[in-house]
Amino acid sequence: MKDTSGYPLWLRCWHWSNAVLFVTLLITGVSLHFSKPARSLGFRGDTLLHNTAGILLTLFYCLFLYGNFRLGNGRYYKIVTGDIEPGLIRQARYYLWGIFVGQPHPYPHSHERKFNPLQKLFYLVVMYVLFPILVVTGWVLLFPDQLPGEVLGVPGIGLWALAHTYTGFFLSLFMVVHIYLGTTGTTLGALFHFMLFGEAEPVAASPVRTPALGDRPNMQTTVPKEHS
Amino acid sequence: MECHQPRDTTIDPVKFALSVHGTQDCATCHTEGFDKFPHTSTRANMPDCIDCHSGPATPPIDFDKIAAGVKASVHVKMVDPAFRCTNCHSPHSFIPASRMTDASEAILAANKPCLGCHAAGKTPAAQQIAFRNLAEKHKVFPHWELHIQRNACIACHTPRGQEDVHLILPKSQALRDCAACHGKNSLLATKLYTHLALKERSERGWANAILFNNAYLTGATRNRWLDWAALGLAVLTVLGVAAHGLGRILFAGFRRSL
Repeated sequence: MKDTSGYPLWLRCWHWSNAVLFVTLLITGVSLHFSKPARSLGFRGDTLLHNTAGILLTLFYCLFLYGNFRLGNGRYYKIVTGDIEPGLIRQARYYLWGIFVGQPHPYPHSHERKFNPLQKLFYLVVMYVLFPILVVTGWVLLFPDQLPGEVLGVPGIGLWALAHTYTGFFLSLFMVVHIYLGTTGTTLGALFHFMLFGEAEPVAASPVRTPALGDRPNMQTTVPKEHS
Repeated sequence: MECHQPRDTTIDPVKFALSVHGTQDCATCHTEGFDKFPHTSTRANMPDCIDCHSGPATPPIDFDKIAAGVKASVHVKMVDPAFRCTNCHSPHSFIPASRMTDASEAILAANKPCLGCHAAGKTPAAQQIAFRNLAEKHKVFPHWELHIQRNACIACHTPRGQEDVHLILPKSQALRDCAACHGKNSLLATKLYTHLALKERSERGWANAILFNNAYLTGATRNRWLDWAALGLAVLTVLGVAAHGLGRILFAGFRRSL
């Protein structure tokens, strides 16, 4: 059966490979930034692992770009009418209040819409702004001998390293929120299961009320109200 | 200096004037055997640095400690028991690191005497080849060419944890722990800027700012305010997520009652 869920196999493989590589880069990156003598893996090992994972992450990013521009996944990232106004406010209101009191998800998952407006905006910034900065600065730092010794009075490598370190830091914060929001599916593990195994049947504008953390898994569902 | 300038090929009068001994009279050191030409003095007759620079009268540099370091170094033990300061430091052009403001200048000056023997060659091309051969022995480092070009030999070839940069160790004892430099209290700070590093460490607790202003070094170039700000932001993010999750748990009863 053709996978029409919006989470085809290649995407799921990319996502989890990306996740493993990113966590590896985060751990080794923090270890390098706060390096101390006689660490378990050591500076040299961390460097080797960090560089290897970074190169692999770049290859997987190319796969992501190919999937988005050639396999149709990019359509989910396009900003459409209503995404900014009222989409962002509506989604933010849902996360700040609606999710607690059991209001239906304002932008349920469908064939046409995989991401809610807030999610879409964040993914756009993360995948098309921050991620490229991280990858480019990482590659530049692989060739420090090609960099100017000094730029605007500070060491040339320093500027790239600063951009690389703190872009990686902000992406790591994104990852924390991303993992947490992964628990906001119909059950705590539903979205994780979804991302691991895909979806057998497409869910179109599910009438299931989006439950939240603390709900019983076999709870009774309610039909969402129509949004004006 | 009447004979030695302006065609001099052994002592550059300009360099000498700029050196730490520039205000000294030649005869201060060249005491015996220099009144006639050719000079009859031999190197062994010449006073050594320690003859003047000794005792408590020469702070902030402890020359006695330096002399002890040289005595324990591989140069004295395995090369020449009569190894002298002037084997490495020319008294006619020496400028102490404390007068240098730039790391690369200090590194060049520190490496020059080492390369004079360990990458010796009669022509610049031969020196280049010798340097290349020497550099290739350091392939254990990632970006080894950069490490050789922008690092002081003494950083790894003198004992770790000591400001002493004159106790040159055998190569088997050379430092191989990357984090010794790439870390808090990078030893480069103490090896290259001993005088400033000691002051900074006593004032701030660690001594990397001097490096930060001159070079980028992964693990060592850290701004503690940025680190604290990043930690604060990370804690706020985790707390925010935890508070949201807690809210969902607390509101679960309310949702079930719908």
